[in-house]
Amino acid sequence: MRNKICTAAALLAAAFTLSACTSGEPAPDKPGTAVTEVTPDDKAATVLDTPFEKPDLVLTDTHGKEFDLREQTQGRPTLIYFGYTNCPDVCPLTMNNLAVAKKQLPEEQQDDLRIVFVTTDPERDTAGELGAWLKGIDTDIIGLTGDFATIQAGARTLGITIEEPVKEKDGTVVSTHGTQVVAFSPKTDQGYVLYGEDTTVDDYTADLPALIKGEKP
Amino acid sequence: MSGPDRGRARTARARRGRGRLTSAVVAVLALPLAACGGPDGPELSVRDAYMPQPVSDSLAAGFLTVVNEGDRPAELTGVSSDLAASVTVHETVDGAMRPTDSVDVPADGRLTLESGATHLMFEGLTRRPMEGETVTVELRFEDADPVTVEMPVESATYTPSHQRH
Repeated sequence: MRNKICTAAALLAAAFTLSACTSGEPAPDKPGTAVTEVTPDDKAATVLDTPFEKPDLVLTDTHGKEFDLREQTQGRPTLIYFGYTNCPDVCPLTMNNLAVAKKQLPEEQQDDLRIVFVTTDPERDTAGELGAWLKGIDTDIIGLTGDFATIQAGARTLGITIEEPVKEKDGTVVSTHGTQVVAFSPKTDQGYVLYGEDTTVDDYTADLPALIKGEKP
Repeated sequence: MSGPDRGRARTARARRGRGRLTSAVVAVLALPLAACGGPDGPELSVRDAYMPQPVSDSLAAGFLTVVNEGDRPAELTGVSSDLAASVTVHETVDGAMRPTDSVDVPADGRLTLESGATHLMFEGLTRRPMEGETVTVELRFEDADPVTVEMPVESATYTPSHQRH
């Protein structure tokens, strides 16, 4: 008798536990609950049918010197991204991805490549701030700051919308960053390939050898 | 799933010849509590936590998934860490980040904090955490006990495998 109750109790215990927690390990693909993870099987690169002209931007680099984007990157493979240094997530990830991918290239190609980070928050991102931040990523990256309206207009020519940073009541500043890296060909100086923000270091590593030559990745 | 718990119940019964019934009954009552904190309410656990090694010692981002296996939603209302003076939950909308006061963890669902979307923002860092280190983060919830997470610091270019394409 006692044994029977005991067994029943043990079964009950098991049943109880089952009803309390539907599963011990979270089911990754439980329908209806899991966040949909889009796994595009297409490539990271979007090759444009109609390439962008390189924006006519004359800004200030991290050394405080004038930098003429068209003139100083002419005939160079160039990657441009618009972001800001107070962005902890996508901006440093994007720049680090580019920096790490760049280092896989032969030395000569590394020297040829221009990676340009244009701030979308020039008030906070002074030449000094930009320089200090890029030092933590790659000192070869060209950091540019200047007048916000000029930067915004330059971004717009690449289809990138950025808003002027807004100071909230509590003092926090809300800035925006671009979502794309634009690759410019050394042959035409036109922006012909786009990369979204979920592009990984492996994607860039795979594509950079083609981009260096102005070829389609 | 309830393997370890059933194992514990068996051990309890085996250890005591007499009073077997008592221990079994105790097991019945204690098990659900120990396993999940009661049959009702949120049942929270955290997985896939990581921090990309930050660029500087001024700010950092953190990512994780809160899994709620309970039948009630929970609300993430506060985050703190030994690493930073302040930790806030930021939502990214159209490329702009905004701090948010609370985020829901749906019943029988999950809250995913991931790169490019909602994430933790650490400001006023006490140090620059380097790859291989661990950062302790406490998540506080409305209607549920706080959860302490040991968040590994990964490389600056780390991408969780489920996010790769």
